[in-house]
Amino acid sequence: MSGPLLAVTLVAMLAVAVFSVRALAAVDERHLVGRIGTPLLFGVWVLVFWQVLTQAFDVPQVLLPAPSLIGRALVASAGVLLSDFNQTVLHSVLIGLVAGCALGFAVGVLIDRSPFLQRGFLPIAALASTVPLIGIAPIMVMWFGFDWHSKAAVVVVMTFFPMLVNTLAGLAESGHMERDLMRSYGAGYWRTLLSLRIPVALPFVFNALKVNSTLAMIGAIVAEFFGSPTSGLGFRISTEAARLNMGLVWAAILVAALAGSLLYGLLGWVERRATFWHPSIRTSG
Amino acid sequence: MRKTSFLLSIVLAGAAGSAAAADKVTVQLKWLPQAQFAGYYVAQAKGFYKEADLDVTIKPGGPDIAPAQVLAAKGADLTVDWMPSALAAREAGVPMVNVAQIFNRSGMMLTCKKSSGVATPKDFKGKTLGVWFGGNEYPFLSWMGTLGLKTSGASPDVKVLKQGFNVDPLLQNQAACISTMIYNEYWQVIDAGVKPADLVTFPYEDQNVATLEDGLYAREPDLKDAAYVAKLGRFVKASLKGWEYALKNQDEAVKIVLAADSSGGSTAAVQKRQLENVAKLITTAGTPKMGQLDPAAYQRTVKVLLAGGSDPVIKKDPGAAAWTHAVWDKAMAK
Repeated sequence: MSGPLLAVTLVAMLAVAVFSVRALAAVDERHLVGRIGTPLLFGVWVLVFWQVLTQAFDVPQVLLPAPSLIGRALVASAGVLLSDFNQTVLHSVLIGLVAGCALGFAVGVLIDRSPFLQRGFLPIAALASTVPLIGIAPIMVMWFGFDWHSKAAVVVVMTFFPMLVNTLAGLAESGHMERDLMRSYGAGYWRTLLSLRIPVALPFVFNALKVNSTLAMIGAIVAEFFGSPTSGLGFRISTEAARLNMGLVWAAILVAALAGSLLYGLLGWVERRATFWHPSIRTSG
Repeated sequence: MRKTSFLLSIVLAGAAGSAAAADKVTVQLKWLPQAQFAGYYVAQAKGFYKEADLDVTIKPGGPDIAPAQVLAAKGADLTVDWMPSALAAREAGVPMVNVAQIFNRSGMMLTCKKSSGVATPKDFKGKTLGVWFGGNEYPFLSWMGTLGLKTSGASPDVKVLKQGFNVDPLLQNQAACISTMIYNEYWQVIDAGVKPADLVTFPYEDQNVATLEDGLYAREPDLKDAAYVAKLGRFVKASLKGWEYALKNQDEAVKIVLAADSSGGSTAAVQKRQLENVAKLITTAGTPKMGQLDPAAYQRTVKVLLAGGSDPVIKKDPGAAAWTHAVWDKAMAK
């Protein structure tokens, strides 16, 4: 396509894109179409422009592959990507996330119970949380071997501290009036904890869970750069990038992004159910 | 009057500067600064590049740097790379061409602990083998293909580990065998305390699966320019001079290489050993054929890569388009 004709076509396409997205955004937010239609249409137009621009300017696939190439790689390597998803998300991420958050929560409750631990352990935990991921990963591989166990260990280290800090903040959140009320009912420490302080802490805990889901994905994928069996999303991204197989690299990135978004969305859904009483959930309905 | 003479002097200085400016060349190395690349560092330190009117920038490699990628992104004029990775990159659409072949023999070797029960290649089945990726896995995958061992899928014959750039999997008994270079990682295993008597090694040369290693690669479209080819020819000539000097004066070369390594992580003893073993791989040193790609050796490499069973490294013979003698001929002219 000649230069001026291409320019005219692109401008026309841009005008249509802007007009259509704005028209859809004007639809009432209460309808499903209004809520998810606009971002969906925006995404579709981004893909269209990506495809057109990479083809029009003959961008080499080793720099930026076209969406059609990525789609083909996704379909052709679906089996490989599924086993990578199994290795990274279902093993390293989920198991590490559950273990790290459970540990953080448990230690948070313990610290709340014992002022000695608060003074002694919290500064050390804070220090441990600042160790960079790239430093921990090879050490974990040495300790726990090459398989998903070392990646889950890295995720545990990364997710422990955010959960700990949020648990402590959440446990301090219950008001004096409510705690006095529990005391007047004759409730002991553990009863107060179970019936009052933990439910009040839940918004904070879910906050930490959502942050940790992102950290867990990052941690598991980056940890795989430092030694892994020949499966896993991090392994796939690093080795296929070195082989200049960019279509598959982007397909793996897409799978990782989708997995991360799904996990975050799932946690958000559980949060809305468990903390339905919280003002932030009540007003957004 | 003062203003004009000032401006005039600037213009003259600029003109003089540009007239004396040497041709710029950037070369991307395959790994960190070490004796494996002694020739280039020596050529720079001893002024061979300057004599050839070249302003050379040597970019060290590292764990996350794939030479083929750097060449594709025009981050360098030349890169030191291995033939398998270069041919695979060619198939992926990167037009890289071999312009000089420095190493004639392969230094790759699979090092195993005798205690893991491996004595011959027949014993690999069911074991865990460590291999680097990032372009270094191709000779290994070809070898496994010729042995008929599956490395991937639901039930592979050998379990493959993506080795980091260290020898820990062998030391920690996480793998029966690991990939090593005879000039580098093998000695790291020895330095860690393992006795040579406890190890069994499989050099790729002895297994007839050797592929061509360190060579210089350039971009095919650039080689259409005769002045560019001449510039690369001067670079190759100066580099080969650097290699000759390095191999004859190994202690001085080691000092130069250590000075180029800003991390200070290596020692003279380690680099000396590396240079001694690298020298064993350059069999054409001191002969008129040094640096020339032997087409027969190229064919052998292509054959090994095509023979990878169900998962060959390259799908078709790239033919003579993947290499050229034009630059080497220009280097040797006069």
